[in-house]
Amino acid sequence: MQYKSQAVAKPYFIAAIALFVAQILFGLIMGLQYVMGDFLFPEIPFNVARMVHTNALIVWLLMGFMGAAYYLVPEESETELFSPKLAIALFWIFLVAAGLTVVGYLTVPYATLAKVTGNDLLPTMGREFLEQPLITKLGIVVVALAFLFNITMTVLKGRKTAINTVLLIGLWGLAIMFLFSFVNPHNVVRDKFYWWWVVHLWVEGVWELILGSILAFVLIKVTGVDREVIEKWLYVIITLTLVTGILGTGHHYFWIGTPEYWQLIGSIFSALEPIPFFAMTLFAFNMVNKRRRDHPNKAATLWCLGTGVMAFLGAGVWGFLHTLAPVNYYTHGTQITAAHGHMAFYGAYVMVNLAIISYAMPLMRGRAANSNKAQVAEMWGFWLMTVAIVFITLFLTAAGILQVWLQRISDNPLPFMVAQDQVSLFYWMREWSGVVFLIGLIVYIWSFFIPGEQKAAA
Amino acid sequence: MNAQHHGHALRPYPPGDLAIWVFILAELAAFFALFVAYAFTRLKHLALFDEMQRTLDSDAGMLNTLLLITGSWCVARAVAAIKANHVNSSARWLLAAIGSGVGFLIVKYFEYGAKFAAGIDLETNLFYTFYLSLTMFHAMHVVLGMVILFFVWNKTRRGGYSSHDHHGMETGASYWHMVDLVWIVLFPLVYVMR
Amino acid sequence: MSEAFTTSTARNIFYGGTLFFLLVFLALTYQTEQSIPSRDKREMLADPKVVAGKKLWETNNCIGCHTLLGEGAYFAPELGNVVKRLGSKEAVKAFIQSRPVEGIPGRRSMPQFNFTDAQLEEIASFLDYVSQINTAKWPPNIQG
Repeated sequence: MQYKSQAVAKPYFIAAIALFVAQILFGLIMGLQYVMGDFLFPEIPFNVARMVHTNALIVWLLMGFMGAAYYLVPEESETELFSPKLAIALFWIFLVAAGLTVVGYLTVPYATLAKVTGNDLLPTMGREFLEQPLITKLGIVVVALAFLFNITMTVLKGRKTAINTVLLIGLWGLAIMFLFSFVNPHNVVRDKFYWWWVVHLWVEGVWELILGSILAFVLIKVTGVDREVIEKWLYVIITLTLVTGILGTGHHYFWIGTPEYWQLIGSIFSALEPIPFFAMTLFAFNMVNKRRRDHPNKAATLWCLGTGVMAFLGAGVWGFLHTLAPVNYYTHGTQITAAHGHMAFYGAYVMVNLAIISYAMPLMRGRAANSNKAQVAEMWGFWLMTVAIVFITLFLTAAGILQVWLQRISDNPLPFMVAQDQVSLFYWMREWSGVVFLIGLIVYIWSFFIPGEQKAAA
Repeated sequence: MNAQHHGHALRPYPPGDLAIWVFILAELAAFFALFVAYAFTRLKHLALFDEMQRTLDSDAGMLNTLLLITGSWCVARAVAAIKANHVNSSARWLLAAIGSGVGFLIVKYFEYGAKFAAGIDLETNLFYTFYLSLTMFHAMHVVLGMVILFFVWNKTRRGGYSSHDHHGMETGASYWHMVDLVWIVLFPLVYVMR
Repeated sequence: MSEAFTTSTARNIFYGGTLFFLLVFLALTYQTEQSIPSRDKREMLADPKVVAGKKLWETNNCIGCHTLLGEGAYFAPELGNVVKRLGSKEAVKAFIQSRPVEGIPGRRSMPQFNFTDAQLEEIASFLDYVSQINTAKWPPNIQG
């Protein structure tokens, strides 16, 4: 660690992992509710468990991004953080707000929560992924702006590199697109149209800029390849991302009442969305092959390579599987979407967060890398979680294909619930894969507590 | 000619910056996918497409083809001129290329005007969804190509390029040729082929 | 400038390319806004029951289990066409009303929300409105 203020990243990373655990536990609850419908009913109905599952994911990824920014920006800008105190204050505000929101989800009925948190003033709640109460949303905006102020001031007073510039664009884009979460027209078609400006333009747009710059930073550090080379690649990848991803939004505008030419535009551009992910895979492997040093942190390198491969499979290949309008006509809103969502989020955003955490945490704890024993445990965590997510995806895909067949294609289409009963075997297998994922996560966390011989920080 | 002064001379192909070629390939992939989608849809709706294709103004299409080919030729002359260190003539050729782009857009303006006046839009039928998506998307690339050529022209005019250093001009020229190439496929596919 | 591949060119292409596609996207957004009145049944929003129904839909987090026009959770049936599937607004209301408080042993069950008659009418009106949006013939069949 070259700058003292980089240490503010540490609580962000710890909280991110804690929320990750919460996300997985609620995921397992939901998975069980798929096959044991009365599990925890009516105390924690499925919709509540799902809110916690998805919201915890979003918040912990944001925590990770912020931690990554606090760690990476001082080092890239070659200056201390503008205000470490502000960073710590924002951490607690964000954590408490997230905690209170989850407590709200779990303890009172959602309608009551909406009432007491002022949803009547400006109704924004009750839309997928944007379920947060109005005050939480406003809190997110305030925290995001203060965070951006802190980071932007740091970049402005220091060195500007491609990595911190792209990261800044990504983070500003993230904050700006979130403002559309306050847009909620009565008209369902327009509601859905602009809802995707948050959801799609986040995960298939600006978040990929953040992902690219974090990956580029870690790769420079662990491979020692010239910054010049890595930055060129970064620009090429994010260009391809936005060239395909912006119009790729159209793949959500097939069946929601929007004009039918979106079927053409959405199909074409989203079919090209795997290209930037493929470029990212090539990039990660190329840089590691051309490495000029053997960094003692093998685990961080593994996470980087994992990000390249799994993001391509999850976001690229599984996205492509159902993105063409004639295919999507049958697969829209089935378990195939869920399969894609699981592998894409894990492969792209979970893994890049774990990559920067893997790289930065040992340095913040005063060593170049963890002991060999700890790294072996971390890599076990990597493989268990990664293999588990592959199987979760495969079982959900199988469930989805069957569901499409039974409910949408066969001559005598079955009602939704009847079709669900037919595919329950796959839901059971998905749940067991989820248990393996949890074991992997436990092993991963355990690796942080393994001491042993340590090399001094470089 | 040694490698120190002419790094690019060692790798004359592709001309221009590698980064623009990645971008060009991505764009070509998008157009290619659009063309394939067009071809398959046309096969499924042959009668409709045949009938609708007759409503297009193929003279305007032909004129635009000539304009773009001329534009490409002008750009090629501009690159040749700068290689011979003829800065002024290079700038003039670039201006001529931009002019051909303006001409293209004027023709397209009248062509679209006639269609819109007839009440045709993106949702009239499948053929016009394709026709308008393809040609408008291409026309926007013409605009982008003109913007790029404008920056290249501006730099040329101020003596920013020379026989030693015209990497940037070749980069812009490559993009302009791509815009031309796409039209050369688009024109027969949409206007002529029945 | 003799490099075959320069960071500055890559950066300029990033800014230019992004701006270009952003403008195309905004143009298409404008076109969409112009064109959807013929598809989105906005005239039905004049009925305050529909608007109130949408709010009830949101504040009870229906999307947390169901899909609406294919978007949402995949735990419970599609509701974009539920009025057509069950046959009438009355049937939808009766279904919502009939959910047991303690659920159904071993099976998924919709919670009992204790809606008033007026609220039931509002939700059913909202779902009726959604069922009339022109969704390019999706879903493939009545089962959603």
